[in-house]
Amino acid sequence: MKTIFQFMRRYKWPAAIAFFLMLLELTSDLIQPLFMAKMINEGLLEENLSNVAFWGGCLFVLALFSFISGVLNSFFSAHVAHSFGFDLRKALYSKIQSLTMATYLTFPTSGLITRLTSDVTQTMNIVFMMLRIAMKAPLMTIGSLIMAFIINAKLALILCVSFPFLLIFLVWMVSIGIKLFARVQHRLDFVNRQLQEGLQAVRLIKAYMRGQYEESRFLSVAENLKFDTIKATRVMEIALPVLQFVMNISLLIVIWVGADAIRENDILAGDLAAIINYAFRMTASFSIFSFIIIAYARAKASAERIEEILNVNEGTEEVEKNEAPILEDFSIRFDNVSFRYPTTEQYTLQNLSFSIHSGEKIAIMGATGSGKSTILQLIEHFYEANSGAIYINGHNIKEIPLQQLRRSITYVPQQSLLFSGTIVDNLRWGQNEASLEQIIEATKKAQIHQSIESFDKQYETMIGQRGINLSGGQKQRLAIARALLKPASLLILDDSTSALDVATEQKLWEALDSESLTMLVVTQKIQTAQTADRILLIDEGQLHGFGTHEELLETNELYAKIVASQQEVLAE
Amino acid sequence: MKIFNYEPIITKEQIKNASGKKKKGERAQNWTYTLKRILDFVAEQKMLLITVLLLVVLSSALALIGPFIIGRLIDQFIDGSSLSQLQYWLYGLAVIYLLYSLASYFQNYWMVSIAQQTVFRIRTQLYGHFFRLPLRFFDKRKHGELMSRATNDIETISATLNSAFIQVVSSILTLTGTVAVMLWLSPALTLITMLIVPLMFYGMRWITKRTSLLFKQQQAAIGEMNGLIEESITGQHVVKAFSQENEMLRQFDEKNTRIRTVGFWALTYSGFIPKVMNTLNSLSFAIVAFAGGLFAYYGYISIGTIIIFTEYARQFTRPLNDLANQFNTVLSALAGAERVFLIMDEKEDKTVGENVEILGNVRFQNVSFQYDSQASSPTLSNVSFEVKAGQSVALIGQTGAGKTTIMQLLTGLYEKTDGKIVFDDMNIEEISKASLRSQMAFVLQDPFLFEMTIKENIRYGKLDATDEEIYEAAKKANAHSFIDKLPNKYDTILSADGSQISQGQKQLLSIARAFVADPKILLLDEATSSIDTVTELHIQEALEKLMENRTSFIIAHRLNTIRKVDYVIVLKQGKIIEQGTRQQLIEKQGVFGQMLNV
Repeated sequence: MKTIFQFMRRYKWPAAIAFFLMLLELTSDLIQPLFMAKMINEGLLEENLSNVAFWGGCLFVLALFSFISGVLNSFFSAHVAHSFGFDLRKALYSKIQSLTMATYLTFPTSGLITRLTSDVTQTMNIVFMMLRIAMKAPLMTIGSLIMAFIINAKLALILCVSFPFLLIFLVWMVSIGIKLFARVQHRLDFVNRQLQEGLQAVRLIKAYMRGQYEESRFLSVAENLKFDTIKATRVMEIALPVLQFVMNISLLIVIWVGADAIRENDILAGDLAAIINYAFRMTASFSIFSFIIIAYARAKASAERIEEILNVNEGTEEVEKNEAPILEDFSIRFDNVSFRYPTTEQYTLQNLSFSIHSGEKIAIMGATGSGKSTILQLIEHFYEANSGAIYINGHNIKEIPLQQLRRSITYVPQQSLLFSGTIVDNLRWGQNEASLEQIIEATKKAQIHQSIESFDKQYETMIGQRGINLSGGQKQRLAIARALLKPASLLILDDSTSALDVATEQKLWEALDSESLTMLVVTQKIQTAQTADRILLIDEGQLHGFGTHEELLETNELYAKIVASQQEVLAE
Repeated sequence: MKIFNYEPIITKEQIKNASGKKKKGERAQNWTYTLKRILDFVAEQKMLLITVLLLVVLSSALALIGPFIIGRLIDQFIDGSSLSQLQYWLYGLAVIYLLYSLASYFQNYWMVSIAQQTVFRIRTQLYGHFFRLPLRFFDKRKHGELMSRATNDIETISATLNSAFIQVVSSILTLTGTVAVMLWLSPALTLITMLIVPLMFYGMRWITKRTSLLFKQQQAAIGEMNGLIEESITGQHVVKAFSQENEMLRQFDEKNTRIRTVGFWALTYSGFIPKVMNTLNSLSFAIVAFAGGLFAYYGYISIGTIIIFTEYARQFTRPLNDLANQFNTVLSALAGAERVFLIMDEKEDKTVGENVEILGNVRFQNVSFQYDSQASSPTLSNVSFEVKAGQSVALIGQTGAGKTTIMQLLTGLYEKTDGKIVFDDMNIEEISKASLRSQMAFVLQDPFLFEMTIKENIRYGKLDATDEEIYEAAKKANAHSFIDKLPNKYDTILSADGSQISQGQKQLLSIARAFVADPKILLLDEATSSIDTVTELHIQEALEKLMENRTSFIIAHRLNTIRKVDYVIVLKQGKIIEQGTRQQLIEKQGVFGQMLNV
């Protein structure tokens, strides 16, 4: 919890004020019964109405005082708790943004979501409790104990004989609780995962009518969460009855010993009554104790999960805006590059070497799963090569500032991922301050301007998550427009025209022809490949051929096969 | 020290609207309604609930008996009377305390079951409900926002049921007991004590109007943040490629700030509740004491009674304070629950209809469709065609022409706005969706695979498929060879990020899934777009075999995918501009014929 509580430092003053106010509130709450007693003893018993009115007034003023300090306390406590939560979420999210793609693979999205929500809430809870009520229990206990000691040390000692044991018991409970609640939070990850999956696949699930099947899959995940929550809560709730029982038995012993003492005139009966009264108060404050230790164990478990992310040091990358100008040229050289994803055993790329000049237009072809997209991911520096090196403009890719590299590349992913928001919001991802003219220029090149114009709200049309309300081709063309809007020296198209019809695609390539940047185009279509300067042919992660269409057609069997596969229609 | 920068965030109108009467016809989404629905779930476990309630009564009684006996013992000490029985009294007390501890433990023990079972039921019902909602529902909602309802919102219910329920019940019990004794002692003074009740009521109403609004806003803000997180993390590679990390942080900051502001006010306002109670109680105590004194002065009541009465008036405040303290959790739970029930009350997809075995004749008659009012022109307008069982149909047209829409209407994923869709001789409305879709297989544009083994993913097409059938399907879909190269072969668990297999391989698997389903009607929407053409050629034959004797609809841009179809429909901007058999259209040399010539 150390890392997390550093976030508290910024709020030490409001926290101190809250703490002070809590003490004030507590004091006035403790004095209240005193005033009540005065009212009875000096007022009612002596039949003195003006005394009743006087102490009644005092009581009310005191209550008002407690009201003000209580309300101010909750103001400051809420401020500290929510600012703490705010900072924690912010730090966590920034950290997540800075994780490399490789690190992402080790933290499932669902786990990150739970941490940012439920786990942060748990830690916030304990902060608020600490400032709002936590001190009540120990102060009540200690205060009552001191009073008991003043009255009769011997009897008071009996009350606290069990304290060391209770303390050990509580510490032990907390340590068990942390483990149990960590499991609960982990189960919540799974619930989140299943929810996310179900929502992402809702079309498929409905098309195959698998709603009930999904429900049954969810049932087991939810059942696990239920089971572990029950278990954790049941174990933690042993604490209070045990504390109360031990305390009550101590009380009985006090009475037992006290009775003897009275007989031997060691103690006055009234004093014994007072001690018993204080013992009652201590027992009452124990329920707050148990409440807090449960909250603490939960918060601790969550804090550890949050720290797991906050303390990731390797596997992060800089996200700060880098003002360095984008690279003017973009030549690429792969030198004996091998790569495998951190989650898989077999290599996706093996000893791959090739070089591409700046300004060249390269088509990348190869069978499904041959490693085409992976090459592009390495050029984006999403992942590090396991061996070999990649050179951009002659410099090792590791030496180029990441943000400068990525700002120099514009990229159309294979699945044209769009984000919820308006069309124009999505397009501005390419260039935040793009003017409407620039945007329209890009959408015209991407052959999507007309479609957008036909929408009622045109560029202000809202699109759902992943562009759900657009057709496949429209999504792809928007993703292309988004990419074209970004000023860059390398354009990557990862099989991004698969949902376009031939005529539209033709127009797109014509529009792109005028661009002078380096282009890498993954494609399945020979027609597209033919318009490229050279074709990079990949097979099972290895280089299988690199040359112009004509060269490959003559020398490369695989390429010839691909060409043949696409000419069948004409041959028929 | 940081300067507070919380703006007041609830307006007078909002408060007014929250409390004002609902217009006619508007569904009453208020506390009592929400509370009743939660309690309906709780009441499903009657036996456990009764047990817990009995235990609460028992422990409350035991909690009173203990101090009572001790009080009598102390009286005896003071009197100096003999204490020969003391030992037995203490044994008795030890038993009482043991019983008390046991009762209070077991009431919690079973209460947790009730609470978690309730939460479990609500959660699973909500999840199941998602798949009964029409697809439209999802078009404009973020996944993360919906997820938040099943986690963050439901967690508030869980927390409340766990702790607040017993507390509330036992407080009410103690309160009733105390008031009963007070009434017995002096009805007049009790009445005076109760003078503060209206004040309390108004105070509480003033606060709760605000807090419940704030808690609702808080849960909504958390939901929005969840939406942003889910979306941005899932699309992280695009965020990185466009260097939008800082923009994401900015958006996150916005949502995060909102949570802080709303949450801060919610906590602050709810901090008022116990304090208001306490102050009013003190006031009441003072008034009662003064009135009591007055009564005694005129001889209406003995001093002794007043003393005892004031003692009870003091006790009166304890359960009230406890109740007040529970108010926060209860209010936040109600806010969370309301958001959950709002989704559960969303209208479900129509599911009525007969179970019929379809032959595969399909007829569209003047079908029109519009996704929403946002699109100026309908996605489909007056589309008519007829396909005989067993025929294969290619849907051709530019992107956005309405091809996918036709498929979605066929499966009933969306409902047509106008016209008739007829299977054999039955209107689509007369056939139950379950039976219709069980006879169809739909290979979607974006292949989706679950975080399950490859085997389970293929089996999704037919849940009782044998392993043999699965291997067979994978072979036909040309997926077997790459699966065989994976270290765990068919038992490889696919990860959510899908780094182990390529997009094309995902398509192969979703084709295998369709093969296993063995449907009457096959729908292939760009099923092979990411697959290289050599592999595609291999699948082609299998696909053709699959299409034999089944009605199939195919969308593809690559012409060799559709080289052997029986019938072709060419769409443009939602209208059919050409249709006929393949041969007819080639001869006609219209749009389709010219496409072949490119």
